Amino acid sequence: MASTLPEQRAGRHVPAEVLSPIPSVLIPPADDPDTMLLNLGPNHPSTHGVLRLVATLNGETVVGLHNELGYVHTGIEKNMEQKSYWKAITYAPRADYNSFFSNELVYCMAVEKLLELEVPRRAEWIRALFNELQRLHNHLIFLGTGSIDLGGIALLFYCFRERDRVLDLFELAGGVRMHARYAQVGGVAEDVPAAFDREARAVVKELRKRVDEYEDLIGQQPIFRDRTKGIGIITPDFARQMGLTGPNARASGVDWDLRAHAPYGAYREINVQPIVLQNGDVYDRYMIRVFEMRQSLDIIEQLLDGLPSGPWIADDRKVVLPPRHELHTSMESLIHHFKLVTEGYRVPAGEAYAYVEGPRGELGCNLVSDGSAKPWRVHFRSASLVMLQSVAALCNGVLIADLIAILASLDPNMGDCDR
Amino acid sequence: MSALVQADAERIAAAIGAGAKVSQARGEVTLDLPRERIADACAAARGAGYDFLCDLAATDYLGFASEGVAGYWGSPSTMDGERDLNHPGSTGLGAVVAPPGDKRFAVSYQLLDRTSRPARRLRLRVWADDGEAVQSIVGVFPCADYQEREAWDLMGIPFDGHPALERIFLPEGWDGHPHRKDYPIGGEPVQFSDAV
Amino acid sequence: MEVIPPGRPNSALRATDIERVVMTTTVDKVLNWAASNSLWPFGFGLACCAMEMIAMLTPRYDVGRFGSEIIRATPRQSDLLIVSGRVSHRMAAPIRELYEQMLEPKWVMAMGACSSTGGMFANYAILQGVDKIVPVDIYVPGCPPRPEAVIEGVMNIQKKIQAGIPPAYEQQRSQA
Repeated sequence: MASTLPEQRAGRHVPAEVLSPIPSVLIPPADDPDTMLLNLGPNHPSTHGVLRLVATLNGETVVGLHNELGYVHTGIEKNMEQKSYWKAITYAPRADYNSFFSNELVYCMAVEKLLELEVPRRAEWIRALFNELQRLHNHLIFLGTGSIDLGGIALLFYCFRERDRVLDLFELAGGVRMHARYAQVGGVAEDVPAAFDREARAVVKELRKRVDEYEDLIGQQPIFRDRTKGIGIITPDFARQMGLTGPNARASGVDWDLRAHAPYGAYREINVQPIVLQNGDVYDRYMIRVFEMRQSLDIIEQLLDGLPSGPWIADDRKVVLPPRHELHTSMESLIHHFKLVTEGYRVPAGEAYAYVEGPRGELGCNLVSDGSAKPWRVHFRSASLVMLQSVAALCNGVLIADLIAILASLDPNMGDCDR
Repeated sequence: MSALVQADAERIAAAIGAGAKVSQARGEVTLDLPRERIADACAAARGAGYDFLCDLAATDYLGFASEGVAGYWGSPSTMDGERDLNHPGSTGLGAVVAPPGDKRFAVSYQLLDRTSRPARRLRLRVWADDGEAVQSIVGVFPCADYQEREAWDLMGIPFDGHPALERIFLPEGWDGHPHRKDYPIGGEPVQFSDAV
Repeated sequence: MEVIPPGRPNSALRATDIERVVMTTTVDKVLNWAASNSLWPFGFGLACCAMEMIAMLTPRYDVGRFGSEIIRATPRQSDLLIVSGRVSHRMAAPIRELYEQMLEPKWVMAMGACSSTGGMFANYAILQGVDKIVPVDIYVPGCPPRPEAVIEGVMNIQKKIQAGIPPAYEQQRSQA
């Protein structure tokens, strides 16, 4: 610990400042013979996807940094313009693949906003429930891969074992583990099965014990604390200027949570107390996600207790497929079904922005419609793209090992960033 | 709530002067601005409490509402006016939709005021034709850095005053801007599959 | 057939019983058996399929039972390149470089629809199949494929190796 020279450790415990002239680039000192260019990625073991960091090092200290993105640029937004609104939902979860349901949800919410379609209460509660399950899923992956980034492999196995339990619930309701396309315009694709309540409560009970174990496992571990305490400090002002939302901002003292302060769906009816930590360092960003997992378990139980009965999707037959049994008896239902499947429903022209509190921060969808049956322009507000701008400023003068810790603590997702 | 946002938008529009227009639809307030004044408008909005930039989205309105009119009509509660059953190519929608602006590209900025309860959202929007530059807002909101680069890379909208405007997703030598409407979707032709 | 009773080791050394206690095989078969049961994957995750690939390594599905215990972060020490996710044009060059850095014999699995054929992304950005840049031994369909499906893919590669089928690059070389 004391082997590095004092001047090399200068940047480690200092709060980050917005860089200038380019906010996302740490410009290395010109013609310094002691520096070396190191390329991390696009393939490297820290599994945040295919991010490429081009770092300039002086010994072990980072003196220059910029990101190269686009290694998984998929053209999702353009592909969505080619399909009808219904078929385009399938593309959405592939963007942020660790929070796939949140992507589907925000796109469906944007379409419902343009249609001015009211979603029934039970559907809102089911959506909120899966949103929280999604948060659990994402934070478990974060903890597992974040721990392996710092060198502790054990948590990877524990967290992925828990993740499989959460995915069991997705499979129970949606039919597939990932990318279940469970959110539908007007509600959810199908009602949760009868066993869902029992299974979900069992998963919640099991995960409560595990989350306590994880909090002890990393929170009290001296190596973990040394590597993360006081590193990569984000101040509230930095968070505001660099567009950070979600756990990254709340770990820095910013009291902002869409579920509490701009509630949507079932969050209007339940009370979510945002968890806010004050130090804004890597340690806080890890611990806040552990606390948020616990909070999600509480919210899931609250939602299971109060889950209202009723339809799971809107009743508007011009947008939503009629139930299959009606096709045998009602001519209108048959026509609705035929038209909706072959042509799709038209959405009135306009522009709408829908947002959810995703596991990474504000996940938004800016949808422009031209009155036809295909979206004119879909744009996802990506929390990862915005947060990756902060990496260079946060890594100003830190050691290369801290760079990995800081990047892991921000929890970017390259599918979300590049789309 | 949107009445308060409307009032804020009108104050900002007054500060900008000519070319600023406030509109409201579905609870969202949009302020259309000239493209050389967007940084001033963002600074004014920041002063009015909208100190957080959520999103920067570029849209190409080339061919808006001219194609793809087929489709089952939307929920009748959203239609005002009568259904014109005799309109050619229509399944009931009476009016033909016009694009909301007169130029090809639009850039929408989503601003957020987090201190008010409930929180307020405002959309600023500028219009530009092919090749016309939009004023960059990186000086006001540093988090617009990558987002403006994305709009340049995928839509081809240049931003005046951006410190390092270069491609972000596509490789350096890529030709064209894929999210434009006249850029083909690409891919390979697959036998027997003409529908996309 | 004479059964050799237990506890009588001396009987095993009679010349006529030699076939019951000695196994004859070929060098190739032994090498193939060893190679198939120690396929070390390369830690290469691109997109959503990477999550299911990691799930394959974790306790519930545990591909370690099949010999793929170690995931190496460096291509020089891995045998199996699992291309898990969509391949953009920008990523094609790094993939080819990493493939070249792997030592022979090496196998490639195209995991998921995107790496097999481009998947649902028939567009300008995605390579329509990773077999355009690297020779692929097995294609695993799914979007994303379940971890069990990926394990089945690994098992099929094992069967291919044990059957003596050369890896895909050798087949391509012999065709070229």
